[in-house]
Amino acid sequence: MLKSKYNGGLRLENPYPVTEIDLIRIPLPDKVVLPMQQRIGNQAIPIVSVGERVLTGQIIATIDDQRCAPVHASISGTVVAIDEHVYAHKSRLKGLCVTIESDGKDEWVDTSIGCTERYETCTANTIYNKIRVSGIVGMGGAGFPTHTKVRLAEGCHTLIVNATECEPGITCDAALMEAYPTKVIRGIEVLLHICKAERAIIAIEDDKQDAIAALKKFCNNEKITIEVMPTKYTSGAEKLLLKYLLGIEVPTGKYASDVGVLCQNVGTIVAMFDAVVENRPLISRAVTVAGSAVKESKNLQVRLGASYDYLLSFVDIKEGSHRISMNGLMMGIELDGTNYSVSKNTNCVFVDQLEESKPTKECIRCGLCNTVCPVDLLPQQLYWYSKSKNTEKAVEYNLLDCIECNCCTYVCPSQIPLVDYYQYTKALYKQQVKEKKQTEIARERFEFRELRLERNKRERAEMMEAKKIALKEKMAKDKAKKAAIESALERVDSAKSVQGPLDVG
Amino acid sequence: MSDKLLNTNQIMRQVSYALALGVGAQVYFFGLSVLIQIVLACITGLIVEAIFLRLRGSEIKPAIIDGSVVLTAILLAISIPSIAPWWIIVLGVSFAVVFGKQIFGGLGNNPFNPAMLGYAFLLISYPVQMTQWPADYLSMDRAADVIFGLSNLDGLTGATTLDHVKTQLTMSLSIQELEFNSISQLWINIGFLIGGIYLLLRRIIFWQIPVLLLLGIVVMSTVLFLVDSDQFASPLFHVVNGATMLAAFFIATDPVSASTTPLGRIIYGFLIGVLIVIIRVFGGYPDAVAFAVLLLNITVPLIDFYTQPKVFGR
Repeated sequence: MLKSKYNGGLRLENPYPVTEIDLIRIPLPDKVVLPMQQRIGNQAIPIVSVGERVLTGQIIATIDDQRCAPVHASISGTVVAIDEHVYAHKSRLKGLCVTIESDGKDEWVDTSIGCTERYETCTANTIYNKIRVSGIVGMGGAGFPTHTKVRLAEGCHTLIVNATECEPGITCDAALMEAYPTKVIRGIEVLLHICKAERAIIAIEDDKQDAIAALKKFCNNEKITIEVMPTKYTSGAEKLLLKYLLGIEVPTGKYASDVGVLCQNVGTIVAMFDAVVENRPLISRAVTVAGSAVKESKNLQVRLGASYDYLLSFVDIKEGSHRISMNGLMMGIELDGTNYSVSKNTNCVFVDQLEESKPTKECIRCGLCNTVCPVDLLPQQLYWYSKSKNTEKAVEYNLLDCIECNCCTYVCPSQIPLVDYYQYTKALYKQQVKEKKQTEIARERFEFRELRLERNKRERAEMMEAKKIALKEKMAKDKAKKAAIESALERVDSAKSVQGPLDVG
Repeated sequence: MSDKLLNTNQIMRQVSYALALGVGAQVYFFGLSVLIQIVLACITGLIVEAIFLRLRGSEIKPAIIDGSVVLTAILLAISIPSIAPWWIIVLGVSFAVVFGKQIFGGLGNNPFNPAMLGYAFLLISYPVQMTQWPADYLSMDRAADVIFGLSNLDGLTGATTLDHVKTQLTMSLSIQELEFNSISQLWINIGFLIGGIYLLLRRIIFWQIPVLLLLGIVVMSTVLFLVDSDQFASPLFHVVNGATMLAAFFIATDPVSASTTPLGRIIYGFLIGVLIVIIRVFGGYPDAVAFAVLLLNITVPLIDFYTQPKVFGR
């Protein structure tokens, strides 16, 4: 197989080493808070009302948007509130959530719709639909609806299963693979059945030996290969993975599907297996709970919508001030507390001992950042232009290609939060482009107005001119008439004067 | 996570420590006067930096302790003759800090290497004081007397080897007829070379600039040497004399004023090496490092612009 390393990246050790990677099923939470807004697209609309009893697996909100998936009740119980909560997002914006209080019974709704018999006998369309109504989205953190992604990759030649575990410290995918190796393999077979790819590659990093062994034991399909790769941060990024495994560099602005590759996270594969084969919609996920303040890291299989507080009650947390973050140390976000709930793309919750923040220094252009940038940008130049809000120059230096992996921030000796600058500049650029477009529209409208006024003026002038000519003609005609009348009168007069004496006489 | 990464302050400190061997060799050959110059330079640098930070309304403490001004001061102090009068180093460091650094906005914003800017200023303004090196080892109190103007050093000074060669060559002697004792130069250069290798191993500097700078010197001097070995010194002479190693590992590698792209560093280093030889051979001053570095500093934005790496997916 053609392998081609990408530049940069970081070899990072797991900051929270675990001795035993187990997937622990935790009891049902008393209450779940399910967000209606997903990663992208429109907010789902609740189809239940307060006080209504819902069953586990019942659809409680839908939206007709290909970028979204329906939301299911993750426990059985009563809807107690449909109101706004602060989302676990950098913006701290509020969004609509449905709160369900558990009745402790976990009574399931009948989910055997669509493809009920063996999936091999179902058409791809039936399975797409099944994936859609089961609410499957990318479980690696992107949260993009799987049915849309799979449909986009129709006719692809290769399926890549991303089992690299995107960031150091997160072990939920490894735990999932160790717990359900057969589900992974069978799930891949389901996906191969619908996307018609010739082969599937499971990309897994060499620090997950137990998971590798488990997969190898159950993999008996010659279409599926297990590719063990060195543990390096940012290998999990879709395009970099493609470059490493297939030697294909996806051009800027294109997607993996454009080069005939479908990439799916291993968690998504398992969720898809559950949906298609076992008729279980997406109502739970594996979450890594770790951190320097957590005595023993754990991987918990938890119902969606369970609160972080509930999640954290299953680990021992050391005393002191804590820093709460989700979705990783590199690309995740810091949260102001634990008052959030697990969503479909929450892969980890970290609780770290609060460290003194290091002061930021000036950039000395040491260039360490450009040696670790996996997409070969010049972060120090981007920083220079971002700092001076020179968006045009920053974009010229390919700011928009930044994948925000934070490798540069990690190595920066001056502790500059580089990616924060880039995000800000990207937003600024977007705004400027929008404003420019608006100015363009305004200018066009203004010019059209000018044109219209000019035209009106001209038309009026022409009309006036025409009227004038008409008037002149009329006057000329009148004059001629008058002259004719006068001459006639004169003639009459002269005739009279000739006759006159006769009368007088 | 994995290996401990250095922060900016630690980088500055490590570079200063790496100078120790070369400075030690200087002390061995010229006496402790070198240390007097370093102390004078550091004190001046810190005071001037503090005054200017105050004038600019910036916070003083974090900028003072980042080690950058101390590094600039040390680099300038070891570049000038160890017996130069005290006001030379005071003036030079003040110029370097004010016009080389603070006027552009402090650390990270200066287009020129501050120490070399200070050096060029001194060399142009005070050529006599800047070319008188002690001919022999000087004791501490003797050196102090000379530096602070309590006695003069007639008869005890000499020109550097580079200077000597240049003067002699103009008197139409061939290289082979010249006798020069460059053992001190050799050892000082070896000292800086070892310090430089330490920086490379600690991944504080990248290999491109030092290696290509030395290559530039070798290539250019070999070309000249092949043209006329009577007129031009050998490549070896150029490598072990003057400030070659100091320039390769400590001066041209100043990240702020150097090129930052991988290919850019190669071009930057190589051209400095070539220029060093050209200016040494054909220029009017004994050593050429300062001018070569400053000239290339000016071209950095251009080099960086045209050597951008290919971005993934483009």
